[in-house]
Amino acid sequence: MSRMNKSRKNIAVIEPSKILYEGLFASILKSEYDYSFYYFDSFNEIELFYSKKEISVVLINPGLIQNRLNEFAKIKNQYPDILWIGIIYSFFDNSILKLFDDTFSIIDDISIIIRKINSLCNNNFTNSNESGQLSERETDVLHFIAKGFSNKETADKLNISIHTVNTHRKNIMEKTGIRSLAGLTIYAVSKGIISID
Amino acid sequence: MYKTQKSYITKDKKMLDLINENYSLLLCLQHFDIDFSVDNSTVEQLCVENKINLNAFIVIANLYNGFFPVDDEINKIDNIKPILHFLKKSHSFYIEVKYPELKYYLEKIKNVHTSRDFQLIEQFFNDYFEEVLEHLKYEDDIAFPYFFSLERKDKITQSKSFSAKEYRNHHTDIETKLTDLKNLFLKHIKIKSDLNVKRKFLNTLFGLEFDLKIHSVIEEKVLIPLIERIENEQNE
Repeated sequence: MSRMNKSRKNIAVIEPSKILYEGLFASILKSEYDYSFYYFDSFNEIELFYSKKEISVVLINPGLIQNRLNEFAKIKNQYPDILWIGIIYSFFDNSILKLFDDTFSIIDDISIIIRKINSLCNNNFTNSNESGQLSERETDVLHFIAKGFSNKETADKLNISIHTVNTHRKNIMEKTGIRSLAGLTIYAVSKGIISID
Repeated sequence: MYKTQKSYITKDKKMLDLINENYSLLLCLQHFDIDFSVDNSTVEQLCVENKINLNAFIVIANLYNGFFPVDDEINKIDNIKPILHFLKKSHSFYIEVKYPELKYYLEKIKNVHTSRDFQLIEQFFNDYFEEVLEHLKYEDDIAFPYFFSLERKDKITQSKSFSAKEYRNHHTDIETKLTDLKNLFLKHIKIKSDLNVKRKFLNTLFGLEFDLKIHSVIEEKVLIPLIERIENEQNE
């Protein structure tokens, strides 16, 4: 699956120990990598958050999912792009640990922890379009959207499904940072994708 | 050594120290109609002098320092009037100060930059400003009078057709277009102009964005839950 160009990745931390959270936050903040940090009380908050912003990585204490394995599996299914990293400071059964993409121990060196998060992220972002340029197909979609065509009409014009139009639309918004139709129209005019008489 | 995090505001801290640490709090004081010459007053003294509910002040001021309120802090607020006054004050600030300021800078840029791109941006801004006015007018004319009547426990003027739920639904996202405007300027459209004017324009835009963000958190996370609590109490 192709990923949008994002300079900043969002990390969610679900960890009852505030001290641990603050420590992780401060250490990763000072690293050379660019992440935004969010503190969640439980993984139920992911759904609410994800409707506004994407989450790349969730750092979570395995103790929080131990008795809620079904719910955890459901969330994992719902958001297949999220990477789950376990924060380990006590013994957990291997059957739990293998549910995570990776784990680290809180006594690991901070540089090792950061490298782990970062390499996991990068592995998953190989397809990202670093320049933020719209692809040819996205430009086609924007051409019609900016002219005021509906998703359905755009799909018919380009002979693709509405679902595909929606995906392109979402990518266009992510790449340009512009979400309103009026704003997208200005973008399209300024880039010569459409002209206004 | 430098300090990376702003203080968490409590009743015994000195307002002067807090302002020195984060001057955005001046705007917070202005929305509460508190004068900036705070002398040596603590937060609590300042609230008593200005007859403002201390808990409401602490929750809102802490948003300016980057702290999101927890349920406990919100539940301690036993009077929503200061919140309503605060929000109303911010509305007139947006309408009378912030948006005219943006318009003024756009005019100045227009004097040296007359391309079609810029005309489009100006059009975008004007349309957006209309939307904002409409939204704020709705809140001032319909939502707030209802909230004030609830606070007065004034059953007669309470309209049956309006409730916090409706307010929540109506509450449109005016931040999206502001972010678009920012991104058009910073990412996509090259506009020839004096850097000073452009920076002032962007400064105002960022300042407005910051205040609007806090404004909508207050509405959604503080005011609406409190209104729903009052509605439930009155319906019992």
